[in-house]
Amino acid sequence: MLFITSCKKDEPEDPIIPNEEELITTLNFSLTPDGGGTPVVFTFQDLDGDGGNPPTITGGTLDTNATYTGSLELLNELESPAEDITEEVQEEAEEHQFFFQTSASGINIAYDDMDVNGNPIGISTIVTTNGASTGTITVTLRHEPNKDASGVSTGDITNAGGETDIEVIFNVEVQ
Amino acid sequence: MWKFSKYVLVCSVILVLPVLTSAQNCNLAISGFVKDVSTGIPISYANIFVKELQSGDVTDSLGFFNIKTVCAGKYHVSISHIGCETQDLYLNILTDTTITVFLDHNSQLLNEVAIVGQGGKVTTQETQSLNSESIAQNSDKNLATMLENISGVSIIKNGSGIAKPVVHGLYGNRLTILNNGIAQSGQQWGVDHSPEIDPLVANRITVIKGVGALEYQGSSLGSVILVEPKKIAREPHLHGEGRYFFESNGLGNGLNLELQQYRKLLAWRMVGTLKKSGDDRTSKYFLRNTGNQEANIALQFEKSWNKKCYSNLYFSSFNAKLGVLRGSHIGNLTDLEEALERDVPFFTEDNFSYSISSPYQKVNHHLLKFHTKYNLSEKQWFDITYAGQYNLRKEFDVRRSGRSDQPALSLKQVSNFIEVKYQNFLQRNWEFKSGIQINRVDNTNLPETGILPLIPDYIAYEYGIFGLLSKKFNTTTLEFGGRYDFENRKVATVSTSVPREIIRYENDYDNLSAMGGITYEFDKGWKATYNIGFAARNPKVNELYSGGLHQGVSGIEEGDPTLGKEISIKNTLSLKGNVNNMLFFEGLFYYQNIDNYIFLNPQDEVRLTIRGAFPVFKYEQTDARLKGFDVATTYKATERFNITGKYSYLDGYDLRNHLPLVYMPSNNLFTELNYQIPELGKFYNVGFQINSRYVFEQKKLLPSQDYVAPPASYYLLGLRLSAEKQLPKLRLNMFVRAENLLNETYRDYLNRQRYFADELGFNLIVGINISF
Repeated sequence: MLFITSCKKDEPEDPIIPNEEELITTLNFSLTPDGGGTPVVFTFQDLDGDGGNPPTITGGTLDTNATYTGSLELLNELESPAEDITEEVQEEAEEHQFFFQTSASGINIAYDDMDVNGNPIGISTIVTTNGASTGTITVTLRHEPNKDASGVSTGDITNAGGETDIEVIFNVEVQ
Repeated sequence: MWKFSKYVLVCSVILVLPVLTSAQNCNLAISGFVKDVSTGIPISYANIFVKELQSGDVTDSLGFFNIKTVCAGKYHVSISHIGCETQDLYLNILTDTTITVFLDHNSQLLNEVAIVGQGGKVTTQETQSLNSESIAQNSDKNLATMLENISGVSIIKNGSGIAKPVVHGLYGNRLTILNNGIAQSGQQWGVDHSPEIDPLVANRITVIKGVGALEYQGSSLGSVILVEPKKIAREPHLHGEGRYFFESNGLGNGLNLELQQYRKLLAWRMVGTLKKSGDDRTSKYFLRNTGNQEANIALQFEKSWNKKCYSNLYFSSFNAKLGVLRGSHIGNLTDLEEALERDVPFFTEDNFSYSISSPYQKVNHHLLKFHTKYNLSEKQWFDITYAGQYNLRKEFDVRRSGRSDQPALSLKQVSNFIEVKYQNFLQRNWEFKSGIQINRVDNTNLPETGILPLIPDYIAYEYGIFGLLSKKFNTTTLEFGGRYDFENRKVATVSTSVPREIIRYENDYDNLSAMGGITYEFDKGWKATYNIGFAARNPKVNELYSGGLHQGVSGIEEGDPTLGKEISIKNTLSLKGNVNNMLFFEGLFYYQNIDNYIFLNPQDEVRLTIRGAFPVFKYEQTDARLKGFDVATTYKATERFNITGKYSYLDGYDLRNHLPLVYMPSNNLFTELNYQIPELGKFYNVGFQINSRYVFEQKKLLPSQDYVAPPASYYLLGLRLSAEKQLPKLRLNMFVRAENLLNETYRDYLNRQRYFADELGFNLIVGINISF
């Protein structure tokens, strides 16, 4: 009967706020022009995670007939200082792969890195442009894809499988 | 030296005595009749076996048996008949003895219960049950799948190993499951959380397809499932049962051991179960990571202090690791759309494996119950019960950087329950029962996940008081009752906005429930029953405060803190009886209105996250109507041959939005043909069964209500062969079952993995049950 008499004060203790170290709040896709210059940075940022406020998405403009070095950065900015999640992906490179799909006809994105099995990862890329066009770039990160499936090593996501950890869409213009 | 000779003396007395008496009288007879408990009609072809004599008799067409030339002494006598629970008697034979044994025979054809439950409460509500015989012959199944052949019961599955029962379209928090009289306390809100109960500890599993469970604490809106362990038989010797099964699909193995002994000082019973299975197989491919492992134990002690006071202590521990199909673990809507288009799920492998890795669930549930019954007189008593439950649920997902070993969901629930009940059989067939109940539930998220909790922490106090009254006239039984509940719930959760902060809520609910029922018995064993019940269910924390991504269904689910309680009115009308004891019929019609029915409604909004776009579902309320019927009929062509058909129909409708309700069971038709042979060579009670299940397509849903149309109808064929054999000291009970005999490829609407994979293909199960 003890718990009945004490019930008025009986309430849950303050929940421990979890350390959301796995969360990815930010994706930066930086394209540095060959031969130097200011990088073009595509950014997806959702500082409070899945719920709450909507994310902010920043697209970018590329030059025609140019070559860029692409570099992806994943951050958890809920932590202070921000935690670099790119390292986690790099450490488990065989289990991860980025895919790049674009609807802009003048853009080509090629892998510029490899895991220990010689399969692409996609943290580093070479981006080349042709004529003027507009459209979107979709960046997808798959966890545990089948990297040996047909077309996957050349960046075709169709047979990759696995589960999607990231899927963000940026507006892009080539002019 | 003195001690030794005394020992010898005692022994020789025991040994010599029977010899002496037998020399005097070995011309005694044990004879009698075997009859059906509900109708009193004689049962022919029942087997009577006397262990000490290694012989027996079979009843004739009058249900009569006669075992002659028996010496005086004590004997273990077992009376068995196919499909019935074997009755074991321990008789002290001094003179010619005539006994009448009642078996639950005819009623078992339709899973009807003839014997009133413990405590002798007469109920007008429709009850159906599985006896220990059917539990033993389905020892490979879990609690929900065991109940599947009871009409009106369906199951919601998440793959093959995770299943929860659905009665008349209601499940989870709307259906109370009582384990040994105690409402199961765990995370019932999850559609993919199966009840943490080992059915092999039970002697009887009963489904009350009722209108109100006023006697029990819990949030039932009508139906209740009772899992009841056996009372320890008043038998001084050590007795027990050992069971083993093997199933070809999933290469499953199971072992179950039960021991019991009745001593005046203390009676005890112990049951232990071990189960292990690996990847199941559809008609075409293995389902990777669908293995299960279980280790359970139950201990039971009973003690009569004196003629008035009796106590029992019960402890059970359920521990399971349940694999979830690897290919059903997906990231976002794009992944789901891709999975829907595939014939074979992602991650499917060519080889079988026992290994279980992420995603999987690890569940522990412990129950401790102490019950004392104090008799004021033969017709009046108190029951005082304490029960403590500890439920731990951890769910593991595929995660980055070795975090797959860290649960993504980790919930602990501790509940403490006290109940005092009073029962009185008054004059002129009045029966009165009442009680008070207090329950405290403490639900905590363990902070090891590194993820915002899906449901909040809370401490809830539930107080209940009830009264039930029934009266039996000549042909009429009346029952009515009322119940009052008060619940106070204090909630603490973490905000989804940043900076993360703690938000607190407090809910108070008070509810009144009531029910009434009348049964009228016509001539020749036909009876009709009408019941009406009024009940309420408080919104649960997941419906109020959950918020976040539900991985398995690729949706963001959001609670609504302003939800009110559900209010239900359910009517049932049943008719049952038989024609010339040949044709048995049972029909139950129900009509239930649930005001403020809580459901997940898909929103027009799509939410953008870093993982892509997700559809949003919100908990909303509407007015729901469930109507349906269960009919079952058995034709007993001869003593040896019978045929049974059962059909269940259900229509669930959202009255406010003018839409069908989602997740309502499909209509289904079950038939079985039984042929039984009392004696065949060295075997007896040999049974042969062909059964079939036809599940209709759920055609009522609109295309906008699901990602993909409900699966097509399907037809499954099964076989069962069972036999018993008596050895000098042991009784063997064997079965072979074949399921999905034609290796059909099919999917079921109530299986949440229907988006990803087919159901199980052919499965052969072999089981043996040894009792001593």
